[in-house]
Amino acid sequence: MNIIACYKVVPEEQDIVVLQDRSLSFARAEWKIGQYDLNAVEAGVRIAEDLGGRISALSVGAQPLENSKLKKGVLSRGPEELYLVVDSKLENADTHLTAQTLAAAIRKIGACDLILCGEGSGDLYAQQVGAQLGELLNLSCINGISKITLQDNTIIAERTLENEVEVLEIPLPAVISVTTDINLPRIPSMKNILAAGKKPVTQWDLSALELQQAENKTQVLSTLAPEQVERKQLILEGESEEVIQKLFENIRKELL
Amino acid sequence: MSQVKKVWVLAEKTDALAQLCAGGRQLGEEVAALVWGSREEAEKAAAYGADKVYWLGSPDQGRMLEDYTTTIGELLKKEIPDLLLVQPSRRGKHMAGRLAAGLGTSVIVDAAEITIVQGDIQIKHMVYGGAAFREERAFGPTTITTVGPGVFSVPAEERGSHGEIVEVEFREPAVSVKCLEKKSKAGAEVNLNAAKRVLGVGRGFAEQADLKMAEELAGLIGAEVGCSRPIAEGVNWMARERYIGVSGAMLKPEIYFAVGISGQVQHMVGANQAKTIIAINKDKAAPIFQQADYGIVGDLYKILPVLSSLIKANR
Ligand SMILES: Cc1cc2nc3c(=O)[nH]c(=O)nc-3n(C[C@H](O)[C@H](O)[C@H](O)COP(=O)(O)OP(=O)(O)OC[C@H]3O[C@@H](n4cnc5c(N)ncnc54)[C@H](O)[C@@H]3O)c2cc1C
Repeated sequence: MNIIACYKVVPEEQDIVVLQDRSLSFARAEWKIGQYDLNAVEAGVRIAEDLGGRISALSVGAQPLENSKLKKGVLSRGPEELYLVVDSKLENADTHLTAQTLAAAIRKIGACDLILCGEGSGDLYAQQVGAQLGELLNLSCINGISKITLQDNTIIAERTLENEVEVLEIPLPAVISVTTDINLPRIPSMKNILAAGKKPVTQWDLSALELQQAENKTQVLSTLAPEQVERKQLILEGESEEVIQKLFENIRKELL
Repeated sequence: MSQVKKVWVLAEKTDALAQLCAGGRQLGEEVAALVWGSREEAEKAAAYGADKVYWLGSPDQGRMLEDYTTTIGELLKKEIPDLLLVQPSRRGKHMAGRLAAGLGTSVIVDAAEITIVQGDIQIKHMVYGGAAFREERAFGPTTITTVGPGVFSVPAEERGSHGEIVEVEFREPAVSVKCLEKKSKAGAEVNLNAAKRVLGVGRGFAEQADLKMAEELAGLIGAEVGCSRPIAEGVNWMARERYIGVSGAMLKPEIYFAVGISGQVQHMVGANQAKTIIAINKDKAAPIFQQADYGIVGDLYKILPVLSSLIKANR
């Protein structure tokens, strides 16, 4: 069983600063592995541990991917090797360019039975890459998977939708996006982190994948923080009956 | 407002279909709906205002709606609508992605606003957990977007139009996933998006049993109960359908009453469209107070019972 888990490196959301002109600054943002993708990596590692097989991790993006702490970060969670596609052209890749690059990388890596993605990226959360990747690779493909059981050459999976849970039979090879409740990602030990530094990393750029012509299919016109709604801000302090009575007077005509 | 020529809509549920048809009317000269089910369902869609209904028929047992991606993809390539509006459900997003990949384009998800500027389709949607709105446009003959709930409202009366119904022949996909069983989820039937009043509970509650106090107050003021994400996904005290925010429900109520909620941006983007926001929190520095109309700094365990009895006494 060959498994590939895909992940995205994203800016730490706490470090994003809204500037005076309502634009966002990432200047001080640390980079990290998208939190939803940790579930995909964990799901892949567990299958490989339980059934035997080989799990690799794969990410495409710009220079922050080369950060050695991030490389160790993903490898310390269990994958045996890492593939990266690093290219400045991928800095603000849209879902199409990302899926296209992942598809090309997976074809180059070779035989693969199962590809796992997180539910959405930690930054834009478009929930698109898994679906687009599956279609581009012409594989069976599904999202929202909250439970996986392997049976011979198929996967029996539960898919959580808004009002129902579907039990699915997914033929392999397949591309599957998993939800955050599928597992609890492990916390790597010091030993895991040290061992991660010795695992193989293969790095390509877009021309190595013959994708130098690839382009985004969307154009960003602006990204601005929303204007603040004016609020009355009548805030009281205290827990005495008097203060609560006052709060009640303030909101009575709205509530009753 | 200027319009494009052809807008297509794709939805699993009829209420979403009606909304998207109404949106399609605003944005396009001609609206076509992709519809599954009986002929009656197709006729209903025509009554929602679709000029044309592409009737896909009823799926066989075990067949997933996703299997229609090939059929719809071929139809898109042939008819080349300018815009495809898709219901933002998990299934809708998945199908949108596969259709886009088939057409060699991208998808813009959870549109909060769609405008047509000199024939160009511009779509606004939230990014970075609610920190910003991004305006974006897609290249390619057909723009595909999923539309956030409540962006379009259904007109009070149905148009009763006589849209043409076109039967579409099913094309077997090369690969497919089989549905063995469907289980319904308990407690899933809430519609927070439509609620006029919502009372949100957060980590300020120490025990699940204490939520009763909030439920009592909600009952007194006729509010639906919602929550912050950790209540639904951390401690699992409430169904996931009840959590509010960027990855949960997006509200537009008259009143949002936040109890024991800190007011982080990922939560507040789901609540800050409320006309009035009321907050109870014991931390004076909690960000929720910056965004509230009325508030009280204090222990919810002391405040809730007194407030409930005041409301009872004054009703
Ligand atoms: C990518 C991403 C997506 C997210 N999406 C969502 C989302 O969709 N929805 C969402 O809600 N969150 C979301 N979050 C999480 C969000 O950032 C916050 O962590 C979460 O909303 C906090 O929930 P809370 O306010 O209940 O808890 P806390 O932040 O722990 O706040 C609890 C509050 O209760 C107050 N309190 C404690 N005891 C009492 C008392 N006795 N009386 C009165 N007040 C008391 C405290 O002062 C505190 O302010 C997301 C986070 C990330 C990173």
